[in-house]
Amino acid sequence: MKSGGYLFFLGGLFYIVTGSIYYFITREPVGTTALILTAGLAELVAFFLLFTQKRIGYQPEDNSEAQQNEAPADYGFYSPHSWWPMIVAGATAITFLGLIFAVWILLLGLGLVLFAVWGWLFEYWKFERVEPIRH
Amino acid sequence: MTLIEDRATVSAHAHAVKPNKMGNTFVKWMTSTDPKTIGNLYLITSFIFFIIAGAMAMVIRAELARPGLQFVSNEQYNQMFTMHGTIMLFLFATPLFAGFGNAIMPIQIGAPDVSFPRLNLVAYYLYLFGGIIVVSGFLTPDGAASFGWFAYAPLSNAVHSPTIGADLWIIGLAISGLGTILGAVNFVTTILTMRAPGMVMFRLPIFTWTILLTSVLVLMAFPVLAASLIVLEVDRSFGAQVFEPENGGAILWQHLFWFFGHPEVYIIALPFFGIISEVIPVFSRKPVFGYKGLVFATIAISGLSVAVWAHHMYVTGAVSLPFFALTTMLIAVPTGVKFFNWIGTMWRGSISFETPMLFVIGFLITFLIGGLTGVMLAMPPIDFHVSDSYFVVAHFHYTVFGTVVFAMFAGFYFWWPKFTGRMLDDSIGKIHFWTVFVGFQVTFLIQHWLGIKGMPRRYADYLASDGFTLGNTISSIGSFLLGASTFFFLWNVYKTWRTAPLVKVNDPWGWGMSLEWATSCPPPRHNFTELPRIRSERPAFDAAHPELADADLPVRKNILDDTIGGPKLGKRN
Repeated sequence: MKSGGYLFFLGGLFYIVTGSIYYFITREPVGTTALILTAGLAELVAFFLLFTQKRIGYQPEDNSEAQQNEAPADYGFYSPHSWWPMIVAGATAITFLGLIFAVWILLLGLGLVLFAVWGWLFEYWKFERVEPIRH
Repeated sequence: MTLIEDRATVSAHAHAVKPNKMGNTFVKWMTSTDPKTIGNLYLITSFIFFIIAGAMAMVIRAELARPGLQFVSNEQYNQMFTMHGTIMLFLFATPLFAGFGNAIMPIQIGAPDVSFPRLNLVAYYLYLFGGIIVVSGFLTPDGAASFGWFAYAPLSNAVHSPTIGADLWIIGLAISGLGTILGAVNFVTTILTMRAPGMVMFRLPIFTWTILLTSVLVLMAFPVLAASLIVLEVDRSFGAQVFEPENGGAILWQHLFWFFGHPEVYIIALPFFGIISEVIPVFSRKPVFGYKGLVFATIAISGLSVAVWAHHMYVTGAVSLPFFALTTMLIAVPTGVKFFNWIGTMWRGSISFETPMLFVIGFLITFLIGGLTGVMLAMPPIDFHVSDSYFVVAHFHYTVFGTVVFAMFAGFYFWWPKFTGRMLDDSIGKIHFWTVFVGFQVTFLIQHWLGIKGMPRRYADYLASDGFTLGNTISSIGSFLLGASTFFFLWNVYKTWRTAPLVKVNDPWGWGMSLEWATSCPPPRHNFTELPRIRSERPAFDAAHPELADADLPVRKNILDDTIGGPKLGKRN
């Protein structure tokens, strides 16, 4: 994660330099804004990655001498299959269609989006349990 | 060299275990969060879009074969080239990157899954629904969008393009672009957090590196496109004035569009460079030459690609020519480094020309020509003369077709056993390659001269007295050969699906380097039953050939290696 953080950090630095040169050569606002915002995006990701790296410490994937048994035994929960992505995407598509066809389609789509997001969030949530099911 | 099992026994065995109904398979695929299945969905869907847009190209070439309007009207012709470009860029090439990325990348880093399985599937569905909305413009009375794939303002506003097809184009692309962004988030997170122990960044296969950097480019470029498209739709539907020429909106749109559009070119090029970098070492029987140089070249390309956008806007007269000419020519340097590495990998290797390698050679030739005309076009004095001519059309087909289509088929033939458990037929593959290669060169080489003679792009018609007739006829004949070549591929897929034996070994090519060759064909649900130790950038090769693990280069050493530093022969771990 550290090398990934540095990758983003140096990328952001490159865009700051490029954006500055671009501004002083051209005085053109659109490209300057886009380049500086790109730099901001890269530095944001870099900060998050380096910060997280510092917080979680040693990672076997960053150790060139690591053995396979160093991988964490509990890899986390991964959805085995799900209907909700299709419903979320369908609701999003209907909402966007409402933008060009009719307001009632837009409202219908927004309702469907809320329903879909609710279903997505609570798909693996059982109310009588405190934590999600682990497979 | 393939160890195989008789198909009849295998399928009988499979049926004995579990009855396989088509409905079950359909639901399984539609709801699957397995990146391999999602990858297959992406690959199949994008290939269908490839065939649709290819058919539009056939219509375009048929229309241009002779002077006069024979098949379509001017408006229909505009719709054809608009949708051809749109589908090829947004609905074929970009999702194809996601397809290969999903199908191969998690295996290459030794991960059992991706970071966000459901986000991955929602990205696919956004692409699918967005793509259907874009294409559904053809079902409306006025037809699909017809303002060219870069939708320049003010041509794309409500006055000049009042059709509903244009609206569908805009929101369809916004939806599918949203899917692309979400898919890229998933890729970046997966590569940064889910690598197997020992898989440090500088042991990632080149293909995984290109997926990472492409995803970063997607995160930088696609939000700009999404914002521009939504503002354009607000202009059209709700009467905003952002892209009105009176307040500089025309140039604003071009800046925003190309700030997305040029990284997009590298979004659809880098992953396919990655495929090339995976295929060449396997069929040259050598590790990739200059691994770190290749990685840094890829980083340099993706960094620079964000700073070259306005070379598409030279002829507006509103951009800094020196800045963009310099950055554009700079980007040729890391690309040249990549060529150097590919040739260095093949140099004195034991090369064999199976179909994937043939497609790689086709890529090298085609993309080299496209790159050279790219350097020419980077120079404003030349660009002013050939801008918006067929010279540009030839240039970008050489680059984009060279990377995407040649590398796609190389990847298909190379990884088909990983996708399906079967090998594609090599003989049909060779016929397929030669029809693609000859068809492509006949179609597009002549267009350079057509452009220099002055034939403009996006014209439905030309006069017999213009002197363009012979060139266009040759180009059209080539394009029909190119179109027909796809049938060889489809025939190959069908034939091997029905008759080819199942691959029983992990690595049917014998010299596979990265981790996808250290698991079965196709891999199990969570990719691996066991992982080999990772001590170099080719762990599968080290595991399969432990006797060679100490030597980097399985070729004869000579004085050159002694002078400039050959392989390290010391013990690795």
